[in-house]
Amino acid sequence: MKVNVKHWHAIAYWRWDTGNDEEADADGEGDVCGICRVSYEGCCPSCKMPGDDCPLIWGECSHVFHMHCLYKWINTAASKQQCPMDRRPWVTAERAV
Amino acid sequence: MATPAFKNQMASKFTDAFNRLNRGEQGISGLITWSQAWTTVNEYLKPRDIKDSLYRRRKRNKADFDGARAAFAIIVRCRQLALVLEAFLDEIRKNFHLIEYEINEYMVRYERDENVELIRMLVSRLLDWYKAWAPPPELGPGVAADYTLAFQTRLFSALPPSFTCGFKSLCAWCLSPEEFPPSDSLSALTPNMGVVWRDFEALGLIDRYESVIASVGYERIEKQVVEVCEGNWAKPMMEELRNWMTAKVVPWMLQIYARGASSTEEARSMLQGVGSRFDFHINKTLCDLRTREIFDIIIDFPDSMGALQDLKECLQRVDQRGALVKTLRKANAKRLLHPGADTKLILSQYVATIKCLRIIDPPGVLLFKVADPIRRYLRDRPDTIRCIVASLVGDEDSGDSLLDDNEPIQPLQQSETEDYSDPMWEPEPIDAGPEFRTNKPSDVISTLVSIYDSKDLFVKELQALLAQRLLAIPEAEIYKVERERRNIEILKIRFGETALQVCEVMLRDMTDSRRMDGYLYRKWKSTMHPIVISKHFWPVLESSDLIMPGQFQSMQESYSKEFSLLKPDKKLRWLPHLGTVTIELVLQDRKLEVEVPPLEAAAIELFSQKDTWVVDDLLASLGNVDRASVVKALATWVNMGVLKEAEENVFVLLEVAEEIDENAVVASSAPLPAAGQAMAPIQTSQQQQAEKMRVYWKFIEGMLKNLGGLPIDRIQAMLKFVENYDQSIEQLGAFMEVARRENMVVCRDGVWRLNT
Repeated sequence: MKVNVKHWHAIAYWRWDTGNDEEADADGEGDVCGICRVSYEGCCPSCKMPGDDCPLIWGECSHVFHMHCLYKWINTAASKQQCPMDRRPWVTAERAV
Repeated sequence: MATPAFKNQMASKFTDAFNRLNRGEQGISGLITWSQAWTTVNEYLKPRDIKDSLYRRRKRNKADFDGARAAFAIIVRCRQLALVLEAFLDEIRKNFHLIEYEINEYMVRYERDENVELIRMLVSRLLDWYKAWAPPPELGPGVAADYTLAFQTRLFSALPPSFTCGFKSLCAWCLSPEEFPPSDSLSALTPNMGVVWRDFEALGLIDRYESVIASVGYERIEKQVVEVCEGNWAKPMMEELRNWMTAKVVPWMLQIYARGASSTEEARSMLQGVGSRFDFHINKTLCDLRTREIFDIIIDFPDSMGALQDLKECLQRVDQRGALVKTLRKANAKRLLHPGADTKLILSQYVATIKCLRIIDPPGVLLFKVADPIRRYLRDRPDTIRCIVASLVGDEDSGDSLLDDNEPIQPLQQSETEDYSDPMWEPEPIDAGPEFRTNKPSDVISTLVSIYDSKDLFVKELQALLAQRLLAIPEAEIYKVERERRNIEILKIRFGETALQVCEVMLRDMTDSRRMDGYLYRKWKSTMHPIVISKHFWPVLESSDLIMPGQFQSMQESYSKEFSLLKPDKKLRWLPHLGTVTIELVLQDRKLEVEVPPLEAAAIELFSQKDTWVVDDLLASLGNVDRASVVKALATWVNMGVLKEAEENVFVLLEVAEEIDENAVVASSAPLPAAGQAMAPIQTSQQQQAEKMRVYWKFIEGMLKNLGGLPIDRIQAMLKFVENYDQSIEQLGAFMEVARRENMVVCRDGVWRLNT
């Protein structure tokens, strides 16, 4: 017997590729942004649409945030342009993967 | 022993009496004439049988009385009239048996024939007696009055109970002669029914039987109302009834109650009291009738507008609001709020009730009282929210929507505190209960949503329903997404922009996936057309450990790769058990094209690698799926004649179709339709709720273990310390109730303990 697939109406969800898959899958909830505590796949407090409208930003220090959250932080005087997690100067990584 | 003084007294009394009778005539000649006069008078007055023709003639003869006149003058002069009267009344008593005999004669005939004519004849006969026995009017009104009183007293006690019935039907005949069998003598009377009433009046029957006469009127009204109005709800009947009243009943009333009125003005004022009593009775009867029918009237709405108008008008005169509420509540409890009624039906009846009672009673007191049990019942039904939401979204398969298309869409109104600075403020109606909330005439949806305490539940259910519908939309009908979008736009007006933000994301996921899919299809002709969703914005979808085998897996992988090329930051995670697959099976002797759920497709894919499978091996190859659904999937193929259960738990592929063995089909486990995914993939909000609470069970368990029994509010207070705890005390209560049913906890006097 041969099975020919004519059409597959499938369903999937997307995740940000943050590089730490295994851990994310383990607790089922995924990682959250260190600033707003909303999951990466959600959106930052000032956005309404997740995904491409509210992207992530990767730091050289391996920390990942919602881009809008991080910019807001960097723009405050208190930030001194540091990563909020480790206080090292924030440098945006070219691309994690 | 007579003392001299006593003797003297007696002597003077005798002399007085003698002088009075003798009137100072010579000797005793005065006494003799008096004695003659006495005899004449008594003879004259003596009541006799009127069948005696001589007596009748003498009575009518004027000259005869002239003869007696002198005798009467003597009696009057001697102040003996009272004695004469006494003797006369005594004679009446003695002779009344004559009348009684006749009454009996008539009544026996009446009881046999039930002919009202006999009653009328009896009445006129009685009048003849009455007239024949009457003392001459010259004796003054006092005598006449005494005579009438004595005659009527005798008469009333002589009339048997059956006379009352006969009298009643005679009255009824006067009111509506057309309802009685025609009779010549009665018809002759018809133009002059006043005569009958005059006879009644003369005999004092009207006063005596006033209540009977009134009841004739009332009964006629009741009959008319039921005949004309029962089940006739289209137009208001009040006007028609009033016209009927004027045409039929008023002339009859005029004869009875306005007898002797000299002008229409006088007649009107005489009729006023009884007229308003009758009018009230019309109102009351109609009101009672409509109250009895109210449930069906509501079902018929809006074709029953007329009945509602009537009821409104009647209720203003008749205080039947309590009865109406009671009847409707009872009817609802009996006919609506039971497990046999569909939730949708209950909802639409509730909506109709709202509309109807608002017409009857704009302030909404009646509605509040009636609606309360319905709302309580609906709150307990698990699928109420689903039903309301479905009607909000406007399911095209369900013909009539709860919503009125003309109704303007407006934001949900929250129950607000009263605004006392409002110049149009009015106090609550007097019969409003303490819990009555001023129910501003809001739209139906607001009222339905207010069955529940918060609208969050609705939004959640709405989201679940939307998800289900969106995922079910096949490629070919992609335009349906646009309709969902339109629905959501409408709902946004009601629930507010922010509440439905999530739905917005869901819709955008749909369009984004389509766009991306189109792009990838042009590039790479994939047969796979996935919908990529933003997980956090969709309702919780069931997870599954299904692993798609063979070509399916490679298709998934290559699609994922393409996707990652397009969106380098993102990765796909498949929900392999959701969606549908259209596959073509090429067997040795036949081709089969079917649309099946992924699990079925995965199972048959495995059979393309190997012809015979044991269920346990299949399970292992498909990942950790539950056994029942795999067996079900296999059964689907068995039904289509592709597989066969060779022995227990061993399935074989049929490359060549077998003659369908009747017994085999029967034996094969549970034949289910191919696309029969019995469980919706999306959990209802209730399940989600329970899922959420389960996280906190550990905390509750620890708490109860360490502290012993706790009341619910203490548990809630302590859970508040837990991060992200957002459940209300009611939700906690519901969860504890579930836990109690599962025998994990016990509750005594409001204190919860672990079940040990």
